[in-house]
Amino acid sequence: MDRSRRNFCLGAGAAAVGAATLAAAPSDAAPSGTVAGVAAARTGGDPAHRWAMVVDVRKCVGCQACTVACIMENDVPENSFRTIVSTYEVTEQDKAGSYMLPRLCNHCEDPPCIPVCPTGATFQRTDGIVVVDNTVCVGCAYCVQACPYDARFINHNSQTADKCTFCVHRVDAGLLPACVETCVGGARVFGDLKDPASAVSRLVREADPKVLKPEQGTQPRVFYIGLDPRFQGKVDGTPTLWRPSAHTERSHAGKEHA
Amino acid sequence: MMDTQILEVINVTREAAWLPWAVQYFFLIGLSVGGVLLSLPGYAFARDGWRPLGRLALIVALTCGLAAPVALLSDLHQPGRFWHFYVVFRPTSWMWWGSLFIPLYIGALLLYGWACLREELWAHGRIDSRLAGLYRLAALGGGRNDRLIRAAGLLVLAGAALVALYTGVEVAVVKARPLWHTPFLPLQFLTTALAGAAGLVLILNRTVGGADRRVEVRGNRLLAGALAAVMLCGGLWLWLGLSGLDAGHAAALESVAGSEAWRVTAVWAVAATVVPFVIAIGWPAGTGWLTGLIAVHSAWMFRWTVFIGGQTVPKTGAGFYDYALPAGPDGLLGIVGTAGLWLFLLILLTSVLPTPHRPADGRRAPLPPHGTAVPAE
Repeated sequence: MDRSRRNFCLGAGAAAVGAATLAAAPSDAAPSGTVAGVAAARTGGDPAHRWAMVVDVRKCVGCQACTVACIMENDVPENSFRTIVSTYEVTEQDKAGSYMLPRLCNHCEDPPCIPVCPTGATFQRTDGIVVVDNTVCVGCAYCVQACPYDARFINHNSQTADKCTFCVHRVDAGLLPACVETCVGGARVFGDLKDPASAVSRLVREADPKVLKPEQGTQPRVFYIGLDPRFQGKVDGTPTLWRPSAHTERSHAGKEHA
Repeated sequence: MMDTQILEVINVTREAAWLPWAVQYFFLIGLSVGGVLLSLPGYAFARDGWRPLGRLALIVALTCGLAAPVALLSDLHQPGRFWHFYVVFRPTSWMWWGSLFIPLYIGALLLYGWACLREELWAHGRIDSRLAGLYRLAALGGGRNDRLIRAAGLLVLAGAALVALYTGVEVAVVKARPLWHTPFLPLQFLTTALAGAAGLVLILNRTVGGADRRVEVRGNRLLAGALAAVMLCGGLWLWLGLSGLDAGHAAALESVAGSEAWRVTAVWAVAATVVPFVIAIGWPAGTGWLTGLIAVHSAWMFRWTVFIGGQTVPKTGAGFYDYALPAGPDGLLGIVGTAGLWLFLLILLTSVLPTPHRPADGRRAPLPPHGTAVPAE
């Protein structure tokens, strides 16, 4: 993305339009990257669809292929993740086993990240996909705080809020999200809830899937089959053995160079 | 279920997205609001006995109020885009409302500060010095005007109320963080801000204010009152959490109760409230340094614990995230830099308008009457 050009568009748009932008009706002809352009983008997506994902955790083998595919597809910065497979060791009656839980943005029907956004940079398309316009986002991170799923983060390359977009660019081109495409065990199923014949509609109808943190009232559109209630909210367990973080990495790098 | 053990093997750490800059902002703007409130009796209500304390509170309000927006701007990861707030209409976002309230408040604060200090500007303009003309210009040819002060005071009070409202509610509405999502949080921000402002008044009294004993005693009494309100809010918060009467408070308490570090922090916070309260009640004279420093520390620590500590509580993962204060702009440098800016503003303001000299008995020296030329010292 040509960020300097977009910044110029922002500045030029503001100078030319100024406060009149407030009152102006969204125009489809508005250039992408201007504030008016964002208003136009809100009408993006096809309202005939409602995209959703069903994750069958019974089929997830914890290979993290989805994690890597997402990073490669979306140029996610090092040590940041739009999706990751949280992996747990569960010991019950002296028997240990693994539990895998792929996590991503839930593209909620009532997303708490959107009303808090002070600039309208994050919005929901008519097909339900929640996106961030990183040419408008000021990086205030209010949405990061408001998301109950820890799905958002600050991208330190763009210095704006970042998250899973269901690979919106692929979906618009008729492709599956990268994580779904690459899933080895077929644990991730993506499709249209408005199509009663779609795989996700059938699974939601027949497999009685659960959602994360239902008490938050966000109505997630990422459903889980085989979701253990102990993992539905904040997990009560021993913290992770390995937990990547950009800050930790920077600290380590600093020590190495010291 | 009893003998189930869950060990998290792989998960992601979400680093704190609201940085120490945010702590500095909420601390400074809180102290500024507290300073405005403490200055009102001496200026807006024209009670001369409150003037010396009110003057120090006004310095707190002005210096903290002017430094605060810099810290807030720095907390944006794209600070150059701040103007994006002002070209949209986003009434659902308390942060957006804040972007309107802050300039209103700062504008009203500057007007109020000027109206209150106009008398001093005018007096300096009567002194035979090379800067006298500038002082006269700044005074706009007039001295004390209580009606103007009252009108500006009303304006800044409204601004302060809006800032106190938005800073508290902005955080309290975040349902995703149980620790923040309690109706007590705005009250706790306000009461700790008042305590911090009273504490800073006590410190300034001993540094730039001439160590006025009556200011110290009155400041300690105000501090004790603010700390009593802090303890009342904290006590109710804890009682609602422990009793389980309110699910929100129970969730807030539960989110941190299992942590040894949080328990130590809680004990520390209680001590930092009770100790200055007892000293301020029992020995209000001669203890301003001590009670003031502890109170300022307590107000800052409350915000640090809420913001930085609150962000170490994972929303989905097990346990707590580690937080290590970075040395650079996102951490220590930001804190020191903001403090340095505040110190610069303090030096600037107290250099332009030094504390009026007092006679030996501690009373404020009368300002020269209108039209009297006072020789330069």
